[in-house]
Amino acid sequence: MQPEFQSQSVPPPPNLEFKVALLLVLMVVLVFGSLAYVMYARGVFESTQRVVLVADDSEGVIVGMDLTFSGFPIGRVQRVELADDGKARIVIEVAREDAKWLRTSSVFTMVRSLVGGTHLHVYSGVLTDPPLPDGAVRTVLIGDATAEIPQLVNTVRALVENLQNMTKSDSSLNMSLDNLQAVTQNLKGPYGALGVLLGSDAHAKKVITTLDQSQAAVIQVNAILGDVRTTLKSVDAVLVEAQAIGANVRVATTDLGALREQVEMNLRKVEHLVDEINRKWPLARDTELKLP
Amino acid sequence: MRQHSLPRSGLGTLGHACVRSAASWWGVIHFGAVALVLALSPSTYGRESRAALAWNIYASTWQVLFWFTLLCALISLVLIRIVVVTASSYGLSQYALEMVVRVLVLELIPLGAALFVVLRSGMLTDTGLTASPLHIEHVPRMIAIAFSVATLAAVSSAVALVLAYLVVYGLSPWGLAEYTHMVGRVFDPVVTVTFVLKTVWFSLAVAVIPLASVLQAQPETARESNPVPQGTVRLFLVLVLIEGVSLAVKYI
Repeated sequence: MQPEFQSQSVPPPPNLEFKVALLLVLMVVLVFGSLAYVMYARGVFESTQRVVLVADDSEGVIVGMDLTFSGFPIGRVQRVELADDGKARIVIEVAREDAKWLRTSSVFTMVRSLVGGTHLHVYSGVLTDPPLPDGAVRTVLIGDATAEIPQLVNTVRALVENLQNMTKSDSSLNMSLDNLQAVTQNLKGPYGALGVLLGSDAHAKKVITTLDQSQAAVIQVNAILGDVRTTLKSVDAVLVEAQAIGANVRVATTDLGALREQVEMNLRKVEHLVDEINRKWPLARDTELKLP
Repeated sequence: MRQHSLPRSGLGTLGHACVRSAASWWGVIHFGAVALVLALSPSTYGRESRAALAWNIYASTWQVLFWFTLLCALISLVLIRIVVVTASSYGLSQYALEMVVRVLVLELIPLGAALFVVLRSGMLTDTGLTASPLHIEHVPRMIAIAFSVATLAAVSSAVALVLAYLVVYGLSPWGLAEYTHMVGRVFDPVVTVTFVLKTVWFSLAVAVIPLASVLQAQPETARESNPVPQGTVRLFLVLVLIEGVSLAVKYI
């Protein structure tokens, strides 16, 4: 298929003029169609209203980026400018047919993600609120994933410094570990945990000797207690006897009362008898009565 | 005198080469300007010229449009598929279409169309023409070549846009709004104007430079000194320059 640009010797193909006209028409249609499509895609034919978002920092916001509502682009950033108060003003054009999603209670957010660019979102919780007027100015809330990185880095740096301090050869943690190692060594020694608790093996040895002596003393005390138990048993027997004696004494005491009454009665009788004798036996002036 | 003759001859050679190169470039520019004026003047489109123009357009565009579009569609399909699958595997599928449009439609297809027309017509220029002054008979040929570059680029770009939609969304019409929005985001005024201007400059360069170089050069000396045709080297240089400038305007 060798092209013959200048050749006029070969006969022209059939319908040459028509084919060329077709090409020209195709080209014109393509050019104007593409132009119209791009203009339509750019929203040139749409009626729009303006929303101005105020942010402390417009980093990542570029002209042409979308404002999305529920994941659907409803507006486009037209201009980013610096206001007199030093804040960034992001001018957004929203198509009139999509402006119904913007309400006076709508919240505008700017999210900066680690991967990808910055995103502008609008959230309208109460769709029955009055619609947002044209040219409204709203403050945008910034949710920045990367803004936390410096703080995170600082925290991590402090953490690493602490770790370095902890892992230094003269750090308290290292010394504690050395001490712990010494303790475990002592634990493995002949006196084990007792030596660790008392500080040295000599003290532990003393304690063990004391314990041995105490054990012997306990044995002796046990023997003494056995004797005491035997003695107490004897005392118990004595007490039983004493109790019996006491009972006997009580009975005897009861008898003694009766005896005394009898004695008193006998004495009264004797006295009466003596009085009788004295009356009847006046010679005897000895009034002393001798009891048998 | 003899001591100064050697350096003077070296410098003289270098200076002579520079002057010759500058004169040659100026000749190309002048040729292009004259050709452009002729192309825009109504007297060029006389009865005979119209027939020649139709013949040249038929030969340079009609004969290759289908095959070039088919080839371009195949390559585009492969590239679109690679970009979409790769972007999806990294969780960046929302950027795949934009990247396809930016790489394929804005950069690769216009450059590919220009190179294709160069390879098909530019080589013929070196062998098919004799050195002759600019004549009105050359103008239809240049117009046809420029038209060919623009048409091939436009048709292939449109096909690539349709293919990109079909690869991502299939035959469903529900992605059309989102796709249109993405196209609108890519084709902002700067990018659109740069794209159009780049295609126009590609067309002009491919139409003018090879022919101008052939008409300027003495065939015997050119073939002896350089195995690669000078016009081709110049053309590639200009194409790279235009591409670089367009990239710089769009992304810097």
